[in-house]
Amino acid sequence: MAADTAGGADERLAYRGPIQQLLTRPEIGALLGLAGVWLLFWLTSEAFGTAGGTANFLDVAALLGIMAVPVALLMIGGEFDLSSGAMTGATAIFVILMSREVGELGGAGFSLHLAVPLSLCFALAIGWFNGTLVERTSLPSFIVTLGTFFILIGAKLGFGKLFTNKVIVEGLDEAQGYEFWDDIFGAEWIRNQHIWDGRDWAWAGLLVLAGVALLLGLLEMSYTRRADPPPWAAAGAFIGAVAVPLFGFVMLLTTDGTASNWLGGAVIAAGTLAGVATWCASRYEPVQRRRPSPDNRTMRMIGLGVGAVVVAVVLALVMDATNSDQLGFLGGGLGRAVFAIGIAGTGVLAALAATGHVRSSAPVIGVIVSLLPAISFMMTIQAARALLFGGLAVAGVVALMLVTARADLSLWLPMATAAIVAIAAFVVQAESASRKLRVELFSVLLLIALALAATAAARALAQRRSTAVPVPQMGLWPRVGAAAGGAAAVVFAVIELIDGDGLLYALSTGAAKGGAIALGIFAVGTFYRLLFSSDEGMGRPLVTVGLAAAGLALAVKLMFITTLEEEATQAVTRFRVSVLFYVLFAAVGAWVLAKTRFGSWTFAVGGNKDAARSVGVPAARTKTTLFMLVSVCAWVAGMLIAFRLNSVQANVGDGNEFRYIIVAVVGGNLLTGGYGSAIGAAIGALIWGMISQGIGFARWNTDWRFLVLGGLLVVAVIVNNYVRQRAERSQAARGDPDDDEPPGGDAGAADESASAGAEP
Amino acid sequence: MSDTLIELRNISKFYGNIIALTGVSTTVNPGEVTCVLGDNGAGKSTFIKILAGVHQHDEGELLLEGEEVTFSSPRAALAAGIATVYQDLAMVPLMSVWRNFFLGAEPTRGFGPFRQIDIEKAKQIAKEQLAEMGIDIRDTEQPVGTLSGGERQSVAIARASYFGARVLILDEPTSALGVKQSGVVLRRIVEARDRGLAVIFITHNPNHAYPVGDRFVILNRGHSMGNFAKEDISQAELTQMMAGGAELEALQHELATH
Repeated sequence: MAADTAGGADERLAYRGPIQQLLTRPEIGALLGLAGVWLLFWLTSEAFGTAGGTANFLDVAALLGIMAVPVALLMIGGEFDLSSGAMTGATAIFVILMSREVGELGGAGFSLHLAVPLSLCFALAIGWFNGTLVERTSLPSFIVTLGTFFILIGAKLGFGKLFTNKVIVEGLDEAQGYEFWDDIFGAEWIRNQHIWDGRDWAWAGLLVLAGVALLLGLLEMSYTRRADPPPWAAAGAFIGAVAVPLFGFVMLLTTDGTASNWLGGAVIAAGTLAGVATWCASRYEPVQRRRPSPDNRTMRMIGLGVGAVVVAVVLALVMDATNSDQLGFLGGGLGRAVFAIGIAGTGVLAALAATGHVRSSAPVIGVIVSLLPAISFMMTIQAARALLFGGLAVAGVVALMLVTARADLSLWLPMATAAIVAIAAFVVQAESASRKLRVELFSVLLLIALALAATAAARALAQRRSTAVPVPQMGLWPRVGAAAGGAAAVVFAVIELIDGDGLLYALSTGAAKGGAIALGIFAVGTFYRLLFSSDEGMGRPLVTVGLAAAGLALAVKLMFITTLEEEATQAVTRFRVSVLFYVLFAAVGAWVLAKTRFGSWTFAVGGNKDAARSVGVPAARTKTTLFMLVSVCAWVAGMLIAFRLNSVQANVGDGNEFRYIIVAVVGGNLLTGGYGSAIGAAIGALIWGMISQGIGFARWNTDWRFLVLGGLLVVAVIVNNYVRQRAERSQAARGDPDDDEPPGGDAGAADESASAGAEP
Repeated sequence: MSDTLIELRNISKFYGNIIALTGVSTTVNPGEVTCVLGDNGAGKSTFIKILAGVHQHDEGELLLEGEEVTFSSPRAALAAGIATVYQDLAMVPLMSVWRNFFLGAEPTRGFGPFRQIDIEKAKQIAKEQLAEMGIDIRDTEQPVGTLSGGERQSVAIARASYFGARVLILDEPTSALGVKQSGVVLRRIVEARDRGLAVIFITHNPNHAYPVGDRFVILNRGHSMGNFAKEDISQAELTQMMAGGAELEALQHELATH
């Protein structure tokens, strides 16, 4: 048994590509939904994708997510807490009442240094009460916490009115010690204070780094190594994949003429392609056998897909040139035509699926993508544009699936497709009047074209991996990076503190700068090892670098403002500290679930309590701890509310408990317990925040808000369910020794297309 | 290996006025399989629950290595090295094999609040231990729910023996299994015995008990029908006694006359 592949990998296991592995995660449905929802609102609203819009929906998501994560953990542990919503308001009211001196009955008049810890004890006591009662009585937690829910509602209103004679409890900012605690729970970062003219450079550079690292990482995971890499490979690949595109980016950024943009884009494309091709040729084994040419049906399908992309692009151009007036409810001949085309496209897809020409997962995606904009069609011209992009996306997806699902295609076909997509990109870039189309759509199309071409190149030159990728030993670089980053974080934090900035601001700034330094060192080390050492399995470190760089790029883009932008916008954008807690709780929740004993016990008591107990898991203690975890997070949420508003209404938080549960379910958590993910719940909260805020941004009639929210939630749950079923089926397939083929046409086909899509 | 590990002398258990078990005696030796046979309601589950610490006996003596003991809880029995594998309650189906294997006793590394499960080590040990029992799990990451019933029992047995069990109590491990799967479990029982464990095998199927057992306790309606070494009893006698010999003869007679 291969002892070197730690973790008990087995040679009888069919190799599963990186994307296939990703598809069996519980969060994947939520992640896809997140991308879809973001894309929808980004396309329909100008303000949504900006820092201001992001701060807006992040704040909603954060307050929800801080609670959704522990609620998800509790749900995995097999219980519910209906008092969680009311508890957030209760802790807020508690802390204000404790700190007040004036009023009918007065108040305790405590300093906040006493009142805030006291409210934490109060929250812990409620959590303990819930947990103990559920455990002792063996009653369903639904009933027990429903009781707590009403007790808290009554107590909030009763005590609030008793002490202040009002339904609103106010005056937190008059309490002693307010400044200290406001630094922690009330902190916010005003974006306009952070001007950095080098921002565009930084984030473009980080994006390039992310793209290169991800591409190489996926290649590394998917293909086998050549035993003797030629020495010219590293230099050639480096120049092709890093230096030339960087040069192209500089061209794009520094000039504004159409011709130079053309040239810049072409340079990027050529450099990337050359880099990938050199890399594959040098590093990976070439395929032995000749491939047969594709059959006619495949050719027709590909033609259809490419044609659809072209038609959609042309239509988008026409639409964009004449979008000056409101459409109204299905108003205007053009609107009707567009709508009809969308419906017809869906119909064609359905027909193709019915006759078995398209894999059955394609219409599912197609229908979802085209229905989302159809809902919005009642409102504005932007909706029509969204519909067009929907059609474009469907056509693109179909084309991609068809191209990639056929493993036996020769090189020229995907290359031709890539060329057509690239040409479309440049046509859009040169001809369109809208900035959004000219810049963003151009980049997206170009990236699709590059990915297609890279896939084809890699496929032609390399051999699919058939065994598991070895996990590389943790090298020197991560440690050096972590040490340097940690030291830098401390130094930066101290500097900020001395400058008189708030505690949390100093800590998070220090952590961010230290993290960037650590990432830089880690990235350099990883690329060094990849290029100059013979270590196997560098895929995972590369993907880590890529994802971290992409996240950092996004953060840089959103958190800083250039002088130009400051002149253009007057609005002040605030990122609140809630976002920090949200990210922190999601990360801690995920770590606890995956890596700690407590996480294992949580899954166990939710999956089969009696079995867990019989092997010595302290089931009662685990569940009580989970209830107390919820109440601690409710306390944090309550403090965030209290220090933001300085006054709290008696009914704050009531009814939110169902939102937490819904969000957790959207994130892939099973209502019956024993399965789920904390990250999924956090993503679910993000989806909710995007939808509830995005409707306002898109200037849709907000009367429809809940209809759209409800509809999208149903869709999310269905998609989620579909993905989970597939995950379970493919896991079951792995367990069957006699079954070389994945069972069932659908699951097998979907797996195949997913794996094919995985190769960049 | 004749050092008696556990000895029961006239053990009785009452639930109120109901006599669940009365006057049961037997010995459990390392490297031997003690089979407890009986029909439904014979008192088998009460018998194992006393040994596993779920219930406490009311009369008689329970001797562990010659000293009289009473197990106050399942944890106390586990601490004494008595592990019980229940038929249905053994596993969490949605959790992976290695998590199930180490559930409640996960190996950790790190310290303080940063203590986390040593996943690589856990996976490796689980795979090795299972391989030693002759179960070749392809991927310890796969959920237990995807294993067959016999494999699940095998994992539970491997787990119990890895965690230092001296006495392994198996509660009807074969009753829900097909013929082939039952064979797998019986082989595991023999393997565990050969490693020096004392195995208590509860079943109502004498065909399963006789090939692997060294000693047989037959229960009927809470009474002990006897405590036999293998050389003192044949399979036919065992079957007959188990169903209450006289009753069965009467039934045969009755059926024959019709």
